[in-house]
Amino acid sequence: MSAIAGSTAGSTGTDPGLRARLRDFSNRHRSITVIVGMAITAIALPLIVLLPPFSSFSGQNIWLDGFTIAGIYVLLALGLNIVVGLSGLLDLGYAAFFAIGAYTYAFAASPFTGNEFPFWPMLLVGALMAATFGILLGAPTLRLRGDYLAIVTLGFGEIVPIAILNSSKYTDGPNGIGGITPPSIGDFLFPTTGNPWPFYLTMLALITLSMILIYRLQDSRLGRAWMAIREDELAAAANGVNTVTTKLLAFALGASTAGLAGVFLASKLQTVTPNLFRFDVSFTVLAMVVLGGMGNIWGVAVGAFIIFMIQSVFLKQLNLFFDNVNVPILSDIDFLQYQFLLYGVALVAMMLLRPEGLFPSRRRRRELHTEEDAAFGELGDPMGAAPK
Amino acid sequence: MKITRLAAAAAAAALLVSACSSGSTPSPSAEASAGASAGASAAASAGEKGTLKIGVTLPLSGGAAADGQPTLKGAILAVDQANEAGGIGGYKIEVLPLDHAVNGKYNEQQAAQDMQTFAADAAVIGVVGPYNSAVGKVQIPISNEAGLLQCSPANTNESLTKPEFGALDYRKSFPDRINYIRVAATDDIQGPAMATYDYSKLGLRNVLIIDDVTTFGKGVADNFQTKWEELGGTVADRVGAPPDTTDFNGIISAAKGKNPDGVYYGGVVTSGAGLLLKQMRQQGLDIPFTGPDGIVNGPGDAEGSLIQIAGKDAAAGSYGSLAAIGDFPGKADFTAAFEEHFKNDADFNTPGAYSGPAHACATIILKSLDEFLKTSPDADQAAIREGTRAWASDTSHSFDTVLGTESFDANGDTTLPFISFYTVDPAAKDGIGDWVFKEQINFGAE
Amino acid sequence: MTTNALSARPTFVATFQRLRLGPYLFMVGFALVVYLIIGPEQFVNALTIGSIYALVAIGYTMVYGIIELINFAHGDVFMVGAFCSMYVLTTPLGQTGPVTDPPALAVILFIDFAVTMLVMGTLGTAIERFAYRPLRNAPRLAPLITAIGVSFILQNIIQIIYGPSPINTPQIIDPAARVVVGGLSIGVINIFIFVTAVTLMIGLQMFVSRTRLGRAMRSTAQDREAAQLMGVDINRTIAATFFIGSALAGAAGVVQGLYFGNIQFTLGFQAGLKAFTAAVLGGIGNITGAALGGFLIGFVEVTAAAQGYFVWAQAAVFAVLIITLVFRPSGLLGQQLGERT
Repeated sequence: MSAIAGSTAGSTGTDPGLRARLRDFSNRHRSITVIVGMAITAIALPLIVLLPPFSSFSGQNIWLDGFTIAGIYVLLALGLNIVVGLSGLLDLGYAAFFAIGAYTYAFAASPFTGNEFPFWPMLLVGALMAATFGILLGAPTLRLRGDYLAIVTLGFGEIVPIAILNSSKYTDGPNGIGGITPPSIGDFLFPTTGNPWPFYLTMLALITLSMILIYRLQDSRLGRAWMAIREDELAAAANGVNTVTTKLLAFALGASTAGLAGVFLASKLQTVTPNLFRFDVSFTVLAMVVLGGMGNIWGVAVGAFIIFMIQSVFLKQLNLFFDNVNVPILSDIDFLQYQFLLYGVALVAMMLLRPEGLFPSRRRRRELHTEEDAAFGELGDPMGAAPK
Repeated sequence: MKITRLAAAAAAAALLVSACSSGSTPSPSAEASAGASAGASAAASAGEKGTLKIGVTLPLSGGAAADGQPTLKGAILAVDQANEAGGIGGYKIEVLPLDHAVNGKYNEQQAAQDMQTFAADAAVIGVVGPYNSAVGKVQIPISNEAGLLQCSPANTNESLTKPEFGALDYRKSFPDRINYIRVAATDDIQGPAMATYDYSKLGLRNVLIIDDVTTFGKGVADNFQTKWEELGGTVADRVGAPPDTTDFNGIISAAKGKNPDGVYYGGVVTSGAGLLLKQMRQQGLDIPFTGPDGIVNGPGDAEGSLIQIAGKDAAAGSYGSLAAIGDFPGKADFTAAFEEHFKNDADFNTPGAYSGPAHACATIILKSLDEFLKTSPDADQAAIREGTRAWASDTSHSFDTVLGTESFDANGDTTLPFISFYTVDPAAKDGIGDWVFKEQINFGAE
Repeated sequence: MTTNALSARPTFVATFQRLRLGPYLFMVGFALVVYLIIGPEQFVNALTIGSIYALVAIGYTMVYGIIELINFAHGDVFMVGAFCSMYVLTTPLGQTGPVTDPPALAVILFIDFAVTMLVMGTLGTAIERFAYRPLRNAPRLAPLITAIGVSFILQNIIQIIYGPSPINTPQIIDPAARVVVGGLSIGVINIFIFVTAVTLMIGLQMFVSRTRLGRAMRSTAQDREAAQLMGVDINRTIAATFFIGSALAGAAGVVQGLYFGNIQFTLGFQAGLKAFTAAVLGGIGNITGAALGGFLIGFVEVTAAAQGYFVWAQAAVFAVLIITLVFRPSGLLGQQLGERT
């Protein structure tokens, strides 16, 4: 599996031979590793939350429901990782594709349009719709440099929700589209509450599939082309990489993952509104990718999970936590008002302490560092051109 | 380990800031059931059978705090009053607030998670909230399937309850088992009421309609416009201004050329109503400013009130509609009780626009619980939840609240037939400026 | 598009290109068209709000030009500046409304601007020192995330101190005061804002082109290593850049309070976004470009409002940006660079 960077926290004491062999195995048999890893997670998470202190917060069902929503963000982070992490294209408006996937399913299975298409094929359709928009977005940005690309993608990220909000005739504007049908297998309709397992297992399956596909892509010629563009576009073009196709594919494939997540969200929430797809969603996913370790697929997934837990569960439950624990001063504080402060402090601190992310990509580490660099404790500079 | 250091740093930062901020905000009465407190000791018989919870689902942080916090406090007041009176049927009642604001704005996804939490917690026998109609759409499927009573103080969109507007799509699991009730008048009542008032009482004929492009604002403005045009009025212009708008000067300048003689603002004050009014007066547009209950949010010294932001002279002569009985003895008492109860709070120690309705919602839940426990004192938590829901949604039952005598129809909508009209009097409340009751209209069995 | 002395281009075109009059003419033409569409009163609105955007945009562009960082916290420095100005006006100076005595007004304004700009400059420098400098050699996205973290922190601190609701600020320049210029009634406050913004911008331009520190900034922006080799103290130069950019944002904050008479802790994000767009529109790293961009965005927004498309204003701004970048990938006044290495 992905290793934590050796230059900081000590990894001494474990058997290097075993880790190297495990790493070797996982590199050669990616798909099996992913499936095994996800299976372990799928079983471990529900078991862990049965233990205190987790059990005193909420029941297992609520934890699983939270994990399912976290899974949506994991999918988003995996997709953005293709664009930002693997290909080095700074996308600040990723939520637009999320919105497109969600509204695609909303149009397909709600009383608003009267359609009743089944969920499972719509997953594919949603992904394709988002991919199409990914190409539409990518096309005019091909000539733009890094940060100009960022602002244009930000612009798209703003334009899509605004367009949805103001086109009441087609999207019911601020009211959103409600009454969306949940997924069903045969006659069994996924329950809205009470039994989180159908959604939970579906999300795990989606993540597993996506991870396998993304690993395949990463290890393919296309993946190498992406990384070549990230490192030095001019050199890549000189070496025969078709930068246009490569960039467009990066956008398309990244967007399709978001489309997938969007369809799932629509089916779980049973309502979609433009309010769900604002800039802070784009930013949160970007933070997850950066924190996880850009380019590192498992790292990004874990980063997404951690940030979601902090934002959605931990910060929100601080009041209840301190009420239960009854620390004198802290119990009197209304932590809800300090959420941003703590979140901001956490972000700044994490970046100052570990700017390369929790699990930086080993490949990148190998590419960029010789032994001497490691000895100087360099933090790594894969995207910038800082003087060394 | 670095993580612990991080956590310590974060906690230290929080401590530091809280120490420097002007007074601490005491946490709501969500004390752990094991902890003893001054309030509990005053109610000797409360809690002998245990604790039941009333959930509150509102956006409570960031910019949305100005909407959610006063509303939450209305509910807290009702529960604290009940506990002080000895609890309900031997049970102590606890408020369990969950904040569904993310980055300062209400978030439907977080709200769905919160409703799942309430549904799974057997001790929760009722929920007050939500504030935004869009959130209601996400939460009703969950609370309906769980059979959990939910009372909204502020949702007004028709589609949440009325089958002819699509409400059955939200209660697909149990279409006939009503669990969602609300005390706010739906948009199709409030909007036309103001239209009639503007036309007949204020004599306006050419109105500028601005809405804040939310489910509530656009809905009530649409309904206003339909009735307005039916009455024969003309619309100078219809403009949408999203909630984060701060600069209305362009809109106002454009509108001046169309000679409006009045404004209808569909929305709440946090969407910018105060700024709009202020800039209107600065540009010399001195026409009456009218709107729904969202703009009637407190006197000139209340934090974030329309009168405070626009200034009492600018706000003078504005009109707002409320879905409540206008002048009743209980109202002054409610305001006094609220201010007394929360006088030590740093923020929001006067009632907001929806504090009264939230108080009413909590009262209704508590009354239903009380009546049910009288018939089945030894019921278990699941039965209590169902019994409370059944009692509240029974159309033959009525409840005495600060809004008047409430009862609900077969869809969960309030049958309170009153719309009251309030106007801003700059001399009220010792010259600070306040909304004063003007008159009310009885719609009968609308 | 550099002129080549050896090429056989007619002198007029060569001069035109050398002076890079194209974008300026475009702006003048655009302004004229806008004026004709929306009328003088709205035009004044547009220039006023454009001035505020321009002042904030300059800070963005200066910082980006020198260390290639999109400083998302800059919008919140603007917001804190507005609150600082309110504090200065209400607490030590005890103002509540319009000041009619011109000398007194001038003194109060001077103190307000001076204090706010100094404090905001210091704040900006402090943020750079503690949050960005350690990350100067880190992957490029790390300081971006940090910037947003700082943005959250600033917002929350102000919210905790002042509460989440909008707060009224003293409008010491009477908003009702108007002068008649050529048959047109214009608000004094509008003229004041525009003049202030232009003065500050011209002052900055002169500073950057005439002083040593300004030269140091330009050279650091162009090539950091070479500047270091020439003896420029990089840390001090960058700190100075942040100081000036943040001071200008502080000035914009003062102006915001004076104009609208109301401020709120959520001001920063929207303003920052628009200012960033303005900076990119004008060619990021280019000060004049940022100013032009700010005014351009003011025009677009007010035109959208005037024509009844207010809800699409934000989208229109971004549409203008995207179209501009498609035709001029480096912005209106940006350097036409080849592939960046």
